[in-house]
Amino acid sequence: MGYPYSHDLEVGTQLSRHFGDERARTLEGWKELGGYATLPKALEMDPDAITEVVKNSGLRGRGGAGFPTGVKWSFMPKEPNGPHYLCCNADESEPGAFKDREILRWVPHLLIEGCLIAARAIRAEHVYIYVRGEYFPYTAILRNAVVEAYEGGYAGDDILGSGWSCDVTVHLGAGAYIAGEETGLMSSLMGGRAEPWIKPPFPAQSGAFGRPTTVNNVETLAAVPMIVAEGSDWYRQWGTEKSPGTKLWCCSGHLERPGTYELPLGMKLSDVIYEICGGAPGGKKVKAVIPGGSSTAMLTADELDCPGCYEGLAEAGSALGTASPIVMNEDTNIVQAMRRIAQFYAHESCGQCVQCREGTSWTAKILHRIEIGEGTAEDLDTLYHLCEQMTGRTICPLADSVVFPLLSSLDKFKDEYEALIKR
Amino acid sequence: MTDAAKQITLTIDGVEVSVEAGTTVLQAAEHAGVVVPHYCYHPGIPSRPAQCRMCLVEIEGQPKLQPSCVFPAGDGMVVHTTSETAETARKSVIEFLLLNHPLDCPICDAAGQCMLQDYAFETGQLRSRYAEAKMVLGRDRVAEDILYFGDRCIVCTRCVRFMEDIAGDNALVVAQRGHKAYIDTFPGRDLDHAFRGNIVDVCPVGALVHEDFVFKARAWDMDSSPGICPGCSTGCNIEVNVKENQVVRTKPRLNPDVNSYWMCDHGRRSLVMSNRGVRAEAPMVRQGGELEPASWNEALAWVAGELGDSNGIALASAGVSNEALFYTRALLDRIGVEGGTFQVEQGDEVTLSGFPKLKLRADRAPNAAGAELHRFTRADGLPEVPNGATLVVLGDAISNAPADYGANAGFFLYIGSHLFPAARNATAILPAATVAETDGTFVNYEGRVQRFHRALRAPGVARPAWMFLSRLLEQLGGEPGVREIGDAFAAMATGTAGLEGMSWAGLGLRGELLSEAGQPAVAAE
Amino acid sequence: MGEQVKKPLHPAAASSQPFQVTDLRPTERLFDDPEGRDRLDKALSRYPEKRAALLPMLGYAQERNGWVSDENMTEIAGELDLTPAYVRSVATFYTMYNKHPVGRHLIQVCTCISCHLNEGQEVFEQFLSETGTRAGEVSEDGRYTVIEAECLGACGFATAVQINDRYFESVTPGKVSAILDELD
Repeated sequence: MGYPYSHDLEVGTQLSRHFGDERARTLEGWKELGGYATLPKALEMDPDAITEVVKNSGLRGRGGAGFPTGVKWSFMPKEPNGPHYLCCNADESEPGAFKDREILRWVPHLLIEGCLIAARAIRAEHVYIYVRGEYFPYTAILRNAVVEAYEGGYAGDDILGSGWSCDVTVHLGAGAYIAGEETGLMSSLMGGRAEPWIKPPFPAQSGAFGRPTTVNNVETLAAVPMIVAEGSDWYRQWGTEKSPGTKLWCCSGHLERPGTYELPLGMKLSDVIYEICGGAPGGKKVKAVIPGGSSTAMLTADELDCPGCYEGLAEAGSALGTASPIVMNEDTNIVQAMRRIAQFYAHESCGQCVQCREGTSWTAKILHRIEIGEGTAEDLDTLYHLCEQMTGRTICPLADSVVFPLLSSLDKFKDEYEALIKR
Repeated sequence: MTDAAKQITLTIDGVEVSVEAGTTVLQAAEHAGVVVPHYCYHPGIPSRPAQCRMCLVEIEGQPKLQPSCVFPAGDGMVVHTTSETAETARKSVIEFLLLNHPLDCPICDAAGQCMLQDYAFETGQLRSRYAEAKMVLGRDRVAEDILYFGDRCIVCTRCVRFMEDIAGDNALVVAQRGHKAYIDTFPGRDLDHAFRGNIVDVCPVGALVHEDFVFKARAWDMDSSPGICPGCSTGCNIEVNVKENQVVRTKPRLNPDVNSYWMCDHGRRSLVMSNRGVRAEAPMVRQGGELEPASWNEALAWVAGELGDSNGIALASAGVSNEALFYTRALLDRIGVEGGTFQVEQGDEVTLSGFPKLKLRADRAPNAAGAELHRFTRADGLPEVPNGATLVVLGDAISNAPADYGANAGFFLYIGSHLFPAARNATAILPAATVAETDGTFVNYEGRVQRFHRALRAPGVARPAWMFLSRLLEQLGGEPGVREIGDAFAAMATGTAGLEGMSWAGLGLRGELLSEAGQPAVAAE
Repeated sequence: MGEQVKKPLHPAAASSQPFQVTDLRPTERLFDDPEGRDRLDKALSRYPEKRAALLPMLGYAQERNGWVSDENMTEIAGELDLTPAYVRSVATFYTMYNKHPVGRHLIQVCTCISCHLNEGQEVFEQFLSETGTRAGEVSEDGRYTVIEAECLGACGFATAVQINDRYFESVTPGKVSAILDELD
């Protein structure tokens, strides 16, 4: 299933089955479609048993890092000495990623159910759904769903008569990509600048409001109900050993059929781009693809035959990230595209670490000069030097995120850069 | 058994050190004699954002370089602070900081005492390959006496965190984000905290400067003396910076028991004008009807001869050294004048919330406890001078006295630095050095005896009071006069309860508490 | 204009009201009227610390007034036991809080990579030319402000344009006129 286009594959779980169906966004409609069937089951389970199922399913964080979700949950203290918190990361701001908004606007109740089950597993009693500020229309849908959930007894005190209570608060961000980083999100939630902090302390020890906290992506949490309902083996019917399950691929750029598609992990990237999305429109050839949202290394058209999963793309020299391929056709000016990407990171740097604060804007400025024909050979050396100096040195990986596409574009499209360098 | 006392051993740059568990790698490195370059870390500020990335070191077994200011030292850890990767990282931080940094060194107060300059030279990263236009931020006022040069700022946030963590006033913040970030106050609300001057001290570069110091002196033009602030009874340890015999700046000096790394703004101002005003520059005696200058020998001989033992009153000061007070008391004992009072100007108390021991205390003088130690008592107001009585005045006791005060005294001996209006009624003026012009000790509010050192030359032939008073006593049949502060202190220590066993050398630069016998009447708080 | 009986605001929704809207309800003091007080109280009830209500309250100021003024910041600081400087530090960190009044319709055109590949720059320029404004300025009649946005999260529907609290997708330079005609 997908939105706005679908596909013929027999992969349409709860995640995408109802994309495009407005019924699914109301409590009544959602229940008619079989929703909230898993929450009662989870309420009967031991929290650690829920974690065990999710762990065995191999579900990995869908926000880009791919950390095994069940393992992340297991870091939370088993004997709370105070509140625990679950933060649902709906700050989706990665260029190329637009999958979480589909979940928010089509199946908000699925997300709510996933949040509640996850909260139960980590012994939290308050879920904060942090939504990026720009998503006003989708937040409205989510907000209505949350209120309906309260009114229907699915959230708040004594959920479904179980004796367990859990609150859900929808909290709007205000325009900061870095609030999508888990410690940046918690910083922002607490009423501050979205400035990531150093780890340790890890969120499971001390996170939001100094309490043990788990931050999970929207897509991750939305997958939880079906995993708990059907079991870990069922989830593993799709995907690979190391990347089980399905993934929402959000495809953009120069494509015949851009949009969001639920696909089994492991499907070849070239199949995603050509079979599912129809390749570049107008018969144009594909020149390059950034497979996982802009923070991943560029692949040339010859490198797309790799499996579309965490390990497959890593082996190909890139990363799955959020599975958000940005496709560039043969007419694309790679230097210009790279400049625009660098500009994004320069705009979004929080400014704490020197390498990122200065390096991202310097990178954008150099690329701009090269783009307009004022670049020199030294500038290329400087860009390589910057790639080295911005990698692995900062509190959060934003600086590394500009290096991945930049370095790969320098290596693979050197001729385009050199063509613009003035003699 | 707690882990707090557990000792761990690690190797830093080949040197093995043993530290308490919980120590950071940077602190452990200090034990090994290694100073890891850093900006945002400050030992006196508890928050550690680890954001400047300057202190990154290589730790065997760690996949990435780690910020040593927060990374906990581990047993058996092997650290390399000067490995190629660590040095490359450090150089690149300097290069990034130099991107937009203006070439202000020729006009920047921090030159010569700037951590950016220092590390640029140390790492050898003297230029950047930046070819773009630099960002220009300009200059802003953050307090009535502090300027902020935005272009120079490296956004280490020490100033922000000092205000938040130590001053308890979140009035200085980072505005904007990314490469546009800068430090600011709320529009229309300048900083007015009593301890705001410390933000200039913590600034590693020349972004924050005192307005009354800007362009006054270069780091290499200044001489520096360790002193004790005379602004209040706390006795903050200070560093007095002098250029051409003028105090141009006062900075705090670390004393973990008194003032940590800090001092208040009132204290910063207290020494700057101390040697100005109308000074007593030569001994003056009224042999005929008028005050005439005389040599020290003449003056001391004459005073020794004239000082009778008629009834007398004495005025002392809480703003002079123990040694001056001791010898004044010895003189008063010799001529039979009992008692003696001193006044202390009072002011509002302000506590530095992040280091509560440090307050700008109500007693706006450094040595009220010392004056009491030498048997002077606190009083409100000046006593009436009985006609014909002997009046001995030490220090600034008569700074606000009416112009005719003491005119009716039989013999008015003025031992002080400034020619106040009432001082002109004196029969003899013995010109004293101010506390900036002599060595000496003060006793602070909690009974701590602390040394201060001469920073300025006294004008004319003014001399330390302890020096000439000891010679005056010699003339009156006492011990030989002393010429060295160590001897003056030794003489004082033998004769004063609370100081037994202390010596000038033994006090060092951290001071020592008076023994039980000498504890001040007011309990230390 | 009739009085609609509005459902009372559910506390779970107090921190997620849209704050870039067309119909402003300007107010000098945010929390002196029942609506503001209710919003503040309900937001506060969701967090263990007052400070966490800061972003929701900055959003509320903009919801009423269209932007966040120094006076608003001072008032919010007072209610949340924060310094005005801290509130300003947070407000200036985030792109979406307007520090100056903007046009009745804030038109944000995404020019980030996916939209860039689909005429994003051209759409942006078209909006500028048709509204007769320069980037970031308020048009003379006060109706428009046009700015570039970083990824709006609608990449598969490039070019994406956000106008106040509405999304317009698959925008091409040719569609700009019609979009502007829709706005009052």
